[in-house]
Amino acid sequence: MLSQTDAKNLIDKVISYSKLPQCEADVNWTEDAFIRFANNGITTSGYRITQQVSISSVTDDKREGNAVVTELSDEALKRGVEQAEALARISKPNPEDMPALGPQKYLVLANFDPFTGSARGDVMIPHVKAVIESARENKLTAAGYIQRSANAVAVGNRAGLFGYHTYTDSSLTNTMRNAGGSSSGWASQTSVSLKDVNGETAGRISTEKCLRGAGTQKKLAPGKYTVILEPAAVSDIVGYLGSNFGARDAEQGQSFLSKQGGGTHLGEKMFPEHITLRSDPLDTRLATAPWGPSLLPNQRMAWIEKGVVKNFYYDRFWASKAGKDPTPSPGNLVLDGQDNTLDDLIRSTDRGLLITRFWYIRVLQPQTLQVTGLTRDGVFLVEKGKVTDPVNNFRWNESPVRVLQNTTKLTQPLRSQGAEAGSSIVPAIIATDFNLASVSDAV
Amino acid sequence: MLAVNHANKLFGAPADTAAKPSPELEKLGGAALAEAKKQGATYCDIRINRYRQQFSGYRLAPQRDSNKTDEVPFITDQQSFGFGVRVIANGQWGFAASPLVTPEEIARITREAVVVAKANSALQASPVELAPTKAYTDRWTSPFEKDPFGVQVDEKLELMHNATAIIKKDPKVFAAFGFLAIRGEDKYLATSDGSSIQQYVVQVFPALQATAVDFQKNISRTRSYSIPPVSEGWEAIARANLSENAPRISAEVLEHLAAPPVTPGKKDLVLLPTHLWLTIHESLGHSTELDRALGYEANFAGTSFMTTEKMGSYQVGSQLINVFGDRTNAGGLASVKYDDDGVLTTKFPIIEKGIFKHYQTIRDQAHLIGETESRGCCYADSWASVPFQRMPNVWLAPGPRDVTPDDLIAGIDDGVLIDGDGSFSIDQQRYNFQFGGDVFYEIKGGKKRGMISRVAYQAKTTDFWHSCDGIAGASYWQQFGSFFDGKGEPEQINAVSHGCSPARFRQVNVLLTD
Repeated sequence: MLSQTDAKNLIDKVISYSKLPQCEADVNWTEDAFIRFANNGITTSGYRITQQVSISSVTDDKREGNAVVTELSDEALKRGVEQAEALARISKPNPEDMPALGPQKYLVLANFDPFTGSARGDVMIPHVKAVIESARENKLTAAGYIQRSANAVAVGNRAGLFGYHTYTDSSLTNTMRNAGGSSSGWASQTSVSLKDVNGETAGRISTEKCLRGAGTQKKLAPGKYTVILEPAAVSDIVGYLGSNFGARDAEQGQSFLSKQGGGTHLGEKMFPEHITLRSDPLDTRLATAPWGPSLLPNQRMAWIEKGVVKNFYYDRFWASKAGKDPTPSPGNLVLDGQDNTLDDLIRSTDRGLLITRFWYIRVLQPQTLQVTGLTRDGVFLVEKGKVTDPVNNFRWNESPVRVLQNTTKLTQPLRSQGAEAGSSIVPAIIATDFNLASVSDAV
Repeated sequence: MLAVNHANKLFGAPADTAAKPSPELEKLGGAALAEAKKQGATYCDIRINRYRQQFSGYRLAPQRDSNKTDEVPFITDQQSFGFGVRVIANGQWGFAASPLVTPEEIARITREAVVVAKANSALQASPVELAPTKAYTDRWTSPFEKDPFGVQVDEKLELMHNATAIIKKDPKVFAAFGFLAIRGEDKYLATSDGSSIQQYVVQVFPALQATAVDFQKNISRTRSYSIPPVSEGWEAIARANLSENAPRISAEVLEHLAAPPVTPGKKDLVLLPTHLWLTIHESLGHSTELDRALGYEANFAGTSFMTTEKMGSYQVGSQLINVFGDRTNAGGLASVKYDDDGVLTTKFPIIEKGIFKHYQTIRDQAHLIGETESRGCCYADSWASVPFQRMPNVWLAPGPRDVTPDDLIAGIDDGVLIDGDGSFSIDQQRYNFQFGGDVFYEIKGGKKRGMISRVAYQAKTTDFWHSCDGIAGASYWQQFGSFFDGKGEPEQINAVSHGCSPARFRQVNVLLTD
């Protein structure tokens, strides 16, 4: 692990080599171990160390250059600084460059778990074994992935700013498929501590989904359905929405928060009362760093509060033009929930579809945030408060904005991860009028 | 005089045309092979790689509450250097990697790789079996005329500034964006099968995009100049004629902004190579990857509708469809002389007259479908990544020489011509896809008409390829591609090209997007 002292020395060294007025060094160091499995056996796995230093230099007249190196010898760092400075000198002034940030008060976040940081095969293999045993007992085929990482990040500049942070993260995902290939079930666990990962539980959930999906499948036609989205699906919906609260895009007609004729929806109640979307770096269930790309300290910030669009994030340049305080972009995302369980959501649904997760989500129109994607690894019909038949997969064309506008009920949130948009703290939700646009034959 | 880092000492300058790998690299490689043998591994390979990427460009966008434009340049040069060791011990793969390229660290990491392999062998489905390959000692460089890293950065910035400024000259254009991406991959591979191979690949990717906004209607549209990323040098950027094409992009983004929405329904499509490459990639490229068909990707990228019993007989599309896997074609982003298994690369048929013939394979898969040699599709995106099966260049053969794009259009009463790629999404078995595009033109009564907007088409892969009834001739064949094809856990990217001529597809489901 790159220690705080080593990181500080590294950054000080970079700054000492620089000749231009501004110099910033961002350090990333990771040690990770992973095991991949398929067809009920381990396929590939590995252990590795990766590191990089990103060096940014700025001249007096705002010319910027950047170089990234992975060699940390004095010679290599010197060369990196020379390269960044040569690029800066040759570039043109950036009219949007801001003066370097001075010392910042970063939050001290407790999301490093030493057990996770040192875990190797002896810790991870039993979880893989539990998943594979569940597959074999039920005549299914398991594929999956377990990983853990120990990370150190540090940043410093000539203006006296310095930050150092360590965190761990881990996950286990697995997919069960039946012999005929007519059913697939999936489960995922993700946590800063590998102690929260349990192969037996993950294997049981995916097995149950796969066995339930292997029943007689009901072929449903495309259309607008009430859907119960499990947290992995909600995580993707929220992830696509959460990256769209930038003030510049909103003010310049580039986002769903831009208003027809000009202006923005800031302060408007666009969502129901029970929708609150926020960032909370102090929620240490997520491996959030104390700072983001702007180097501003991450802080608690509501983007949507009780249905109202509460805040935009202003980068330092745009904030200076708008007369606002600069704010960091979302360091993580938390969608508040309600005091319900997934069973409560199912029980309260007269007719709807229970959806495990989504796949291959891409934006169709940035202004409406209409996206397309597919359902995957378990879609089930819910009738009169009970899960009944497995259902075919669908392609959907829908906007995360509309999904949250149409959300009627939520569970308690938990950390979850979908296929596309990273990990967040989200509940399962019921959303009405979800546009399932065409049938997918995929299993 | 710049300071010299370890990677530069080892790999030398791109112009170094020695026929053999660097002795110093061979010595370092030998450290891994010897240690693996000592630890009881039955196979070992080491890749010592250095990657260099340079991005430069301009973003021209209006200031806040003003018509004035901020011209924001950017430039970054990134280097990554390290090694990865792969071993087979107790019949199981193990892998470990480190950025510290010294004989001692190579020996230590090799021991780690053996530890990983032995620990995992308790849960192996079946022992790893490698298809045979010859041992090669060779050094190879991808063809290029002018080293793009050697071109001065101020020349690059000026080129991008000129092109973006021309786009933004019309005040009705909201923003302009342009970049040059240049990529160099120095690869050294030593295997316990006796190969010692040094390769250098150079790739370039220029891009230009215009954005227009109608605040009254609250809509925003873009138009890009589709320039193929290629394994070539600066000559490809010069050939792109960025500034000469900028006025067209500027005019076309405004046409796009004003374009009426499509009337959805079943329509005939003419898809240009700027667009069709991505449809080929997603629907035929990924579905014929053997690791998907065998279930190795079931937990992430997915499996495939092209299951193993279909090989050799399954009719995927119309008789016009001939598709090749190829890591030898000029300019192809996946073209190299040897893959990351040390296999000499090749060209092979994937689909012949619409019938599925062959999968993309690597050494540890070939025997699983009764084949005796790999098709050379092994690749890892970093020294720190595990090599696995990645897509070669997959290209669609042209139609008869005398067929022109106008002939394809002339045969359509109600259709859409699509130029450039847009949104793309396909399911985990590659059945159901939906694609947008960059811009769309209405076809009425056999003629290309004005631009329309908000188009996407959705189809089932086999229905779509069966509906192909026309492909233009070889003189219209063009290659496009991507640097960023994702697969695997941990996820890796792959650069890959797809060539084709314009082609016609009948009665495809055309959608109106929001």
